[in-house]
Amino acid sequence: MSNDETFAAAYREHYWAVSRYVARRLDGRTGEVEEVVAEVFTVAWRRRADLPAAPLPWLYGVARNCLANAVRGYGRRRRLLDRLGNDDTAHGRHVVASPGSDRPGAWVHEALARLSPADQEVLRLTAWEELGVDEVAVVLRCGSRAAAMRLHRARRRLRAEIDRLRPPAAGALPEEHRHG
Amino acid sequence: MADELDLLRAADPAPADGPHFGDGPLDHTAERHLNRLLHSPRPGRRTWSRPRLVWGLTAAAVVVAVALTVLLGGSGGAPAVAAPRPLTVRAHSAAVPLAQVARLADVAASDGSPALRQGTHVQSWSLGMSDDRPPLTLPEERVVRWRADGSHTEVVVATDPSHPGRPVLTDEGLVEDGRVLSRRTFPPMWGDGPPLSTPPHDPAKLRAYLLDLIHGDTLTTSELLDATQELLDNWTLGARESAALAELLADAKGLRPAGQVTDRLGRTGQAYVYDEGGAGGRRMLILDPATGVVLGLETTFARDDPEYGVHAGDVMDYSAWMR
Repeated sequence: MSNDETFAAAYREHYWAVSRYVARRLDGRTGEVEEVVAEVFTVAWRRRADLPAAPLPWLYGVARNCLANAVRGYGRRRRLLDRLGNDDTAHGRHVVASPGSDRPGAWVHEALARLSPADQEVLRLTAWEELGVDEVAVVLRCGSRAAAMRLHRARRRLRAEIDRLRPPAAGALPEEHRHG
Repeated sequence: MADELDLLRAADPAPADGPHFGDGPLDHTAERHLNRLLHSPRPGRRTWSRPRLVWGLTAAAVVVAVALTVLLGGSGGAPAVAAPRPLTVRAHSAAVPLAQVARLADVAASDGSPALRQGTHVQSWSLGMSDDRPPLTLPEERVVRWRADGSHTEVVVATDPSHPGRPVLTDEGLVEDGRVLSRRTFPPMWGDGPPLSTPPHDPAKLRAYLLDLIHGDTLTTSELLDATQELLDNWTLGARESAALAELLADAKGLRPAGQVTDRLGRTGQAYVYDEGGAGGRRMLILDPATGVVLGLETTFARDDPEYGVHAGDVMDYSAWMR
């Protein structure tokens, strides 16, 4: 297969996985997902000669950097709107409360949000993108050993936050089922 | 098995079987974008301009198979398997405050020498952990050198300076001291964001650089130490960058001077300790007090974790940076 064909196959196979990756990190700004995903595949297209045999972790790595740019842009826009005054978008009031906000999982999100961005990312990659340590290492551009260590630390920190925030009803998890 | 990862999985805001972004054929917009990429006159072939984002991703993940059965049942004489003991602060030694180190580093940096260099030289010891096997410490030396054309090489060697000449544990089993585990050459790459962009030597700008490096909005002490590690795994700092970093470290809350230590490479330095609290570990940063150069960073477990067979005080990982 030529580079172009390999790229097209990866695009078709992983478009939705990359979309989910981006959606999970845009905090409900689903309108921006399509735009960021388009940017991810445009960058990937330019770099298609480097596309590895297992392209998904590599694509996540591309998406991670595109998101960092998008979020920086969002931050700038938000600060501008804040200065301009009473704007619904600036104050997040355009986001309609979803049933999800009342889900029991909301406090898990809160526990996650209390961790550093680096801890959050390694946990999301593992739990939501279901990557193994070697694949996490590709996304984070570090060695497998470093990725394993980061995951281990992040899990311990998440567990500590969960223990702090866990509602009483959810506190009945057997001790032996909690991993470090 | 409802552990913390299971709880997180259950809270996935965009599951594959959810109402949006579920697997399936491309929609109209995605098809149109793919067509545009494939059939436009060479889109993105702007080789004359420097790409905004350049990727240091390797073509494939390094496949690491932890052959513990080989390691544990192997015959290699007296391997360098012992977990390093945590560094101990010399009793009754004087502790140098970080503010003083920052001042000295600033003076030492006045002639700008030595200079900043892209690439790193680091000896590390790290604990390989598994849910069902005893923990093992894996020592290695990593040298990354960049060339003027933007390409770079990375060499990883199995070695433990504290047990010279003895077999060394690796992911592949026991190997002789000095065995090259990997040697890779990367094509030219540039980038205008960390870690590829040049770290600044102004403290405020360096702080912004480190925030960018860890994709963060805040720089807590724990995050500053994480960012320092990542910075030093990519760059060999010059005197000015070390002075700027020392100033940031001097402002970090909870990083307390502990006294003098001799690091695992036999160098004398000053130790600064930060307790992460809760389930976190204990970080020990080792600095050369005269120049502010970071010599090493050690993380030890603050409490027992029977699940992984580790005890409070065990070394989780340790990096010693060299020029």
